[in-house]
Amino acid sequence: MPHYTYNIIPQSGRNSPRPAATHIHNVSEPPYSGQLPTDPTTYRHSSPSTAIIIDNGSSSVRAGWSSDPTPRLQFPPLMARYTDRKLNRKLTFIGSEIYFDGTARGQAKNIYEPGSNIANNWDVQEGLLDYVFAKLGIDGRNGEVDRPVVMTEPLANLGYTRRTMSEILFELYNVPSAAYGVDSLFSYDYNGGLTGLVVSSANTSTHLIPVVDRQPLISHATRLDWGRSQCAEYLQRLLKAKYPGLLTSGKVTETQIEDLVRAHCYVSTDYESEALRMLDWTGLEDRDCMVQLPFQEKEVVQKTEEEIRRAEEKRKEGGRRLQEQAAKMRLEKLVRKEQELEYFKQLQEQIAEVTTKKEVRALLDEEEFKDEADLERRIKEMEKSIRKQRNKDVGDLEEEPEEPPSYPLLDIPDAELDEAGIRQKKAQRLLKSNHDARVRAKAEKEAEKTRQAEVKRVDDARREADLDSWLDERRQARQDILQRIKDRDRLKQDLGNRKSQASQMRMKHIANLASDNPMGRKRRRGQNADDDGFGADDADWTIYRDIQAGRGQDDEDDEEEDFGAHLKAVEAQLLEHDPGFTEESTRDSQRDWTKSLVHAFLRGPWPFDAESAKESNQFHLNVERIRVPEVVFQPSIAGVDQAGIVEIAEDILMQRLSGMPEARDAMLKDVFLTGGYALFQGFEERLREELRAVLPFEVALGVRKAQDPVLDAWKGAAKWAEGEGRGQGFVTREEWQEMGGEYMKEHRLGNVFT
Amino acid sequence: MAPITTASNEETHAALLDTLDMYKIHKPFRNPSWRPAQRRNKNLKQILSEAQRTQQSIINTQQNSGASTPLPPTDGSTTPSLHPNPAQASQDLSRLVLEKNLKQQQNGTIGGATTPGGLGVAGAGPSVTYTSIAAAPSLKPKKKYCDITGLPAKYRDPKTGLNYVNAEVYAVVKNLTTGQVQEYLAARGANTVLK
Repeated sequence: MPHYTYNIIPQSGRNSPRPAATHIHNVSEPPYSGQLPTDPTTYRHSSPSTAIIIDNGSSSVRAGWSSDPTPRLQFPPLMARYTDRKLNRKLTFIGSEIYFDGTARGQAKNIYEPGSNIANNWDVQEGLLDYVFAKLGIDGRNGEVDRPVVMTEPLANLGYTRRTMSEILFELYNVPSAAYGVDSLFSYDYNGGLTGLVVSSANTSTHLIPVVDRQPLISHATRLDWGRSQCAEYLQRLLKAKYPGLLTSGKVTETQIEDLVRAHCYVSTDYESEALRMLDWTGLEDRDCMVQLPFQEKEVVQKTEEEIRRAEEKRKEGGRRLQEQAAKMRLEKLVRKEQELEYFKQLQEQIAEVTTKKEVRALLDEEEFKDEADLERRIKEMEKSIRKQRNKDVGDLEEEPEEPPSYPLLDIPDAELDEAGIRQKKAQRLLKSNHDARVRAKAEKEAEKTRQAEVKRVDDARREADLDSWLDERRQARQDILQRIKDRDRLKQDLGNRKSQASQMRMKHIANLASDNPMGRKRRRGQNADDDGFGADDADWTIYRDIQAGRGQDDEDDEEEDFGAHLKAVEAQLLEHDPGFTEESTRDSQRDWTKSLVHAFLRGPWPFDAESAKESNQFHLNVERIRVPEVVFQPSIAGVDQAGIVEIAEDILMQRLSGMPEARDAMLKDVFLTGGYALFQGFEERLREELRAVLPFEVALGVRKAQDPVLDAWKGAAKWAEGEGRGQGFVTREEWQEMGGEYMKEHRLGNVFT
Repeated sequence: MAPITTASNEETHAALLDTLDMYKIHKPFRNPSWRPAQRRNKNLKQILSEAQRTQQSIINTQQNSGASTPLPPTDGSTTPSLHPNPAQASQDLSRLVLEKNLKQQQNGTIGGATTPGGLGVAGAGPSVTYTSIAAAPSLKPKKKYCDITGLPAKYRDPKTGLNYVNAEVYAVVKNLTTGQVQEYLAARGANTVLK
């Protein structure tokens, strides 16, 4: 049967890098927003039953009068209490006012532990209450706060917490009456909810509370430990792993990370497919958010044009001066040499004139010459050197007449010479062999040069004759080199891994070398028992090369290992002659950053310059934008061992309430979202789609969001305090003192007593 | 320490310090003779373990009321005492709650959350606690995501245990140091913790 294969069309071309980012976000400034005003007017006009509503949240405390439409005080639950060394006095700052001073910010303490919404630090809680009462203008005429207080507490609040809070309210502030309620139920009630599933996704936790006929079923409520603060922590972890070294503490503060989460993160409707497409090249510049951290430009001394020119000239000047000096010195030397030559020549004449040997001897000894031949030689040398120098100075290099030196004594056999003669003969032989060797070397060099020229000529001829096959050959050579580079890298890596084949072979070799009975080394008969004949064959020594584990580091020594240079040579040839082989096809640009997923992930669709301080202090949020809020649907992403909210909702609706199908159907018509997490764009749609997927098709599903997910809890509490709370939910001070610290009154918008 | 915000100089800073300081403001609404309890700042773990201990003691006393020698429980659905390990004890407590609710439902009282959960039933714990509200682990299969990039991942590196999405990311994974590997795993909650 015929066999068809599709041609795999390679990804065409290089992705085009995008123009510079249009919108660069900067990390936010510390959120100091000025001082909250003190306004006692409402207090003075209020009746004794106007309650103070305090919504104790872990992200912010919202407080105000129940007669107000919105809370007039909103601030984070922080307090900084310290003694200023310079002014030597105690200072206390509350809320966002701590951000005006660095010391205060460092000393700030939170009521809540990070990640929890159970009050931990009661001193801070007291400080905050002081602040709230002071700002609301309570004058405390009778040493008490004389208005009832409504506070919110987490669902299924612990007895200890409630007791301590009541203690503070009743004993420290002498509040006449107090009530507690659950913030999400307040919010639901404010938004007109009767029967529904309240999904309250807040700063530290997410609660799902089924409500039937205005009564919450707290025993079926469930809490997932994920909220906006955990989102911020998760984002910080991800960024720290993604950009090591960039997010060291002090550079990016927690409030900045929270702002990043708030500004850039959103809930995707279909996480899997959106994440897959997130790092696609097209449109990446829209999805990627570049955040710039403050940075310092590296000091680059910019020399102006003039300065550069001046430096250049100075350098040339110096060079010229040196050259002049050198020339002068050479001239002097030359002159001196000529003088010496003159002197020696005179000496020679003198010798010629003088007759007696003794005087010749005397003259020669003066100049420390052995005999006349020596003098002669010396003169010749000097003449040669003078000539050379003259030529150099003058500039033309004439070929010196090469006189083949003569070795007369070599021809005379040893027997005929005397001892001195033999010595001279040896010296001459040595000289001759040196000379011969030099001549040979020169000849070889010439031969080599001609050979290379020949090869090149043949190559060129072949290329001109048949360009295509030559190109193919070159490309093949390039592939071979690339392959060998890859193999070498793989071998190096293998040697590092203890269990790999290469490594085990190496150990075998080493063991073999060290053992007494090495394999494969047959002793030849008649040899010593200890001698195994290693080293007799030159090839044996190569084993030490093989077992050297650090192989690959000194590749530069070995010429045939120098793949880099080879590759460059071949690529240069290809560049020159191959029309299709451009700068971009060379190996360096093959590692193309525009095709790299990791580059898109780290740096977006823009080129990255590692030198630039600006770019090194940027980070990009692309996948993190959807990954971070996704955890509430899939907590296993962040290692939280709990079910996601859809699974929890499914569990509540399908299993726990399976005995009450009418209530369940009514509940599904009103799935209510509240809490700061619901502010993420896309949360509502995602929840709707996911619930739709797990519910039976005939059930009607309605998902809605609170009008103001953040403030509705406070507004609901205010409405309740003015309305039905007045009779029932408040515990008066006398009751509390009589019934005990944990006494509380249950009402339909609060916790049950445990 | 972080520097002072850029929009201030020494004088305005000192003036601002004065205006914002809460310490010097007179707070007449406070009771001057009140002293807070010692060591009242407790973190969640401490509060929970204390609550469990009190619950345990209540259950014990309720069980033993009227009998001189403690008898093993004849009623199979209640446990005599909670496990000493707090984590285990919390689960026991949750189980107690669920069993009690189940019993209540069987007895026909649905929506028992609104009435104070019938503490008269001997040996039962509270109906709703902070820990019993916590969500259970997921029963659905977990989806794997690349630890480096966050995209859906199909592959897992056996040496480090990291999930990765393609060969290019694998090259990155191979070159990570042990510390970085543990950081990635910690983000997923899968790092090895040496105690």
